[in-house]
Amino acid sequence: MKNTLPVLRAERGWSQGDLAERLDVSRQTVNALERGKYDPSLPLAFKIARLFGQPIEQIFEPDGGDHR
Amino acid sequence: MIAAESRAEPQPHGASLYGLYVVALTTSLLGNLLIRLGDRGRWLPPWGQIVLGALSVAPLIVAAVMFWRLLRRDLDEMLQRIVLEGLAFALVVYVPLAALYVNMRTAGAWAPRLDAPDIVLAPAVLVAIGIAIARRRYE
Repeated sequence: MKNTLPVLRAERGWSQGDLAERLDVSRQTVNALERGKYDPSLPLAFKIARLFGQPIEQIFEPDGGDHR
Repeated sequence: MIAAESRAEPQPHGASLYGLYVVALTTSLLGNLLIRLGDRGRWLPPWGQIVLGALSVAPLIVAAVMFWRLLRRDLDEMLQRIVLEGLAFALVVYVPLAALYVNMRTAGAWAPRLDAPDIVLAPAVLVAIGIAIARRRYE
């Protein structure tokens, strides 16, 4: 799943560690999320959306036709 | 200001827990060794062997409780998934291998004779391999 997390984070001048602390997850998880290696659970996706003040679908976009 | 208490760097917990598991496994294996030596040398009575066998496993129980707490409270969802995938890997590899081993021994085919340390350590090693493989998937 593609996402705009790196852009949103950079806009705020946060490091991955900063974002990890705000989301209460590990830095590795933020890294994996940003690289599209890990798809967040719905609660975590809502948390991210709330943090950045944007709807989930504006932050996360499914890969073409891949709806695992 | 960001709260200091967080899950941002949970590796030390995981590393120390893994270290505790290594120590606990070693303790249980040492207990097993002492029981066998005591039995062979006849310096450890049967009740002593039972007590030693139970005591040497106690650190593993402590490690198990800590592992459960780590898994339920301290790990975030991705790290939980990595650990669970590691456990699943160990299970799916160990069970068929163990069944094959038992059947080969029963059938009289050549199979290495496994001691208690081999049997105790194999799942732990498989879990470590499974976690390493799962971690790579998310890096």
